[in-house]
Amino acid sequence: MGWSQSFSHVSDAIYEADRNARAGMRVPARIVADEVLFGQIGRDRSIEQLLNVATLPGLVGHVVGMPDMHEGYGFPVGGVAATSVTDGVISPGGIGFDINCGVRLLATNISRGDVDVEPLLHQLMRSVPAGYGHGGRLELSHADLDRILEGGAPEIVRRFELGSEEDLACIEGGGQLVGARASAVSDRAKHRGRDQLGTLGGGNHFLEIQLVQAIYDREAARTLGLELDQITVLVHTGSRGLGHQVCTDHVRAMDASLARYGITLPDRQLACVPFASPEGGAYFAAMCAAANFAFANREVLTHRVREAFREANPNAVVRVVYDVAHNIAKIEQHGGKRVCVHRKGATRAFGPDDDDVPAPYRAIGQPVLIPGSMGTASFVLVGSGASTLSFASACHGAGRAMSRTAARGQVKGGELRRELASQGIAVRCPSNAELAEEAPIAYKDVERVVDVVHRAGIARKVARLVPVGVLKG
Amino acid sequence: MRQPRHRFGEHTGEVELTVEAPSLAALFEEAARALAELQAEDAGGAPTRSEERITLTSSDRDALLVDWLNELVYHGEVNKCVYADVTVARIDERELEAIVRGREPLAPRTAVKAATWHGLRIRSCDDGVEATVVLDV
Repeated sequence: MGWSQSFSHVSDAIYEADRNARAGMRVPARIVADEVLFGQIGRDRSIEQLLNVATLPGLVGHVVGMPDMHEGYGFPVGGVAATSVTDGVISPGGIGFDINCGVRLLATNISRGDVDVEPLLHQLMRSVPAGYGHGGRLELSHADLDRILEGGAPEIVRRFELGSEEDLACIEGGGQLVGARASAVSDRAKHRGRDQLGTLGGGNHFLEIQLVQAIYDREAARTLGLELDQITVLVHTGSRGLGHQVCTDHVRAMDASLARYGITLPDRQLACVPFASPEGGAYFAAMCAAANFAFANREVLTHRVREAFREANPNAVVRVVYDVAHNIAKIEQHGGKRVCVHRKGATRAFGPDDDDVPAPYRAIGQPVLIPGSMGTASFVLVGSGASTLSFASACHGAGRAMSRTAARGQVKGGELRRELASQGIAVRCPSNAELAEEAPIAYKDVERVVDVVHRAGIARKVARLVPVGVLKG
Repeated sequence: MRQPRHRFGEHTGEVELTVEAPSLAALFEEAARALAELQAEDAGGAPTRSEERITLTSSDRDALLVDWLNELVYHGEVNKCVYADVTVARIDERELEAIVRGREPLAPRTAVKAATWHGLRIRSCDDGVEATVVLDV
């Protein structure tokens, strides 16, 4: 069991370890999980990683592990930590390489019986570049890229005339983080991302055509414009190589600055500097710029999805329900303090009446989008604003339970492709090996993960979506 | 004498790479081949690009390995190729000079975002050196 033994089961879905669990901890650690998920989480090194995070200077309250938590690098995936903006640090490892990796849910006016999924998926595959190193179709000048880094999704709508003004009202932060500075992003990062706007990328990124299969909260579903048998699309991608390079650049710079700030760490990937330092400010400005690139990327992909749907059905209407980041740092108020909330594989889950929730949704709370693993259900929830419990953060997915090597050993990509087809799920993925690595068996049970979040009072379930077509990155 | 070789270990979220070789130069060359193998099924084919020279200066030996792999990730992404054909011409604890030739892969596989510092260590053994590094994929 190892570090799991340091935790006590303090309530239905909460485990806690005090700050004596390991040397150097500055705050307690909390994991939101039931017994089954806590047991799964304890099988890899994620708990040790969460306790390492609890040693960072200037933490506020406690560090939090989500029910989908699994081993990452530095921070665990599914880790949340809030640091004081006056005497705390910012750590790029607490955001990850894929800055503003996130999900966008699109709702259509089309029902299951009114669409032929195979040709639609084929068209989406033709218009959405996926996979390793694939450039996109939107060529950007240096000036264009700088404008997007500072202007985010609104720049795509207003300058490139892709997407719509209505979309922007339903994106976290309006799709533009105001702290962004293009000058804080290295030429290398810009070079890496210049031809990647409008692309999915590889790994666990995907674009799924889904069907609303169940509604748990009719009023909230009505507010979000979701109804049974409706076709929806979930887009999961981030800031691509540009964001990866921003993280690489700043972890390296911070590693070199640790001694100057008298910071010692149990793991070099936790490299950090005071939030209020020049290096901290430079990283935050670059991270916001990369996040804007990701919002812009998902806006371009929304345009591509609209094109594909209108080709299949000229009367198709595709509307943004919400777009939320799950790898990001945000400045927020919690417990009366202004803090930098690091969410590494965790979704913001603000409650009703919060000014940061789009006006049409303010009565029900912020939409929380939880993608399942390939072939399993995804969920729409609305946040409860559980500030004290989790800094108003929820899980971000099912969470891996098995390594890629182990998944390839247990699942054959070709067989999985046929099995999904037999369930009525069309799949486009160029590599059978990569398909096997993302097999449902490699993930935790998303239904259980979401139920724990619901029971813990972090967010409440609204709808269940099941895939009918998967375009894998 | 230990022969250069590598293996991909168990890691829930990412890829843990362990490399061993008779010398530091051979270790860095093997790490590059492992990265390319992860990135493309046909990484071992003949190079299709002209020679590139890479020079690096890092804070220490561990950092040099991370910087080396990240340099290859960067060049690979912007040049749309992978680098299995590498020669480390000069290396010490903090500096490296290498000649690399890229191949545009016909069968790309795993997109590697970066080499991380997590759990990073280079260990000297009786007959060579061994390193472990986690790659974000």
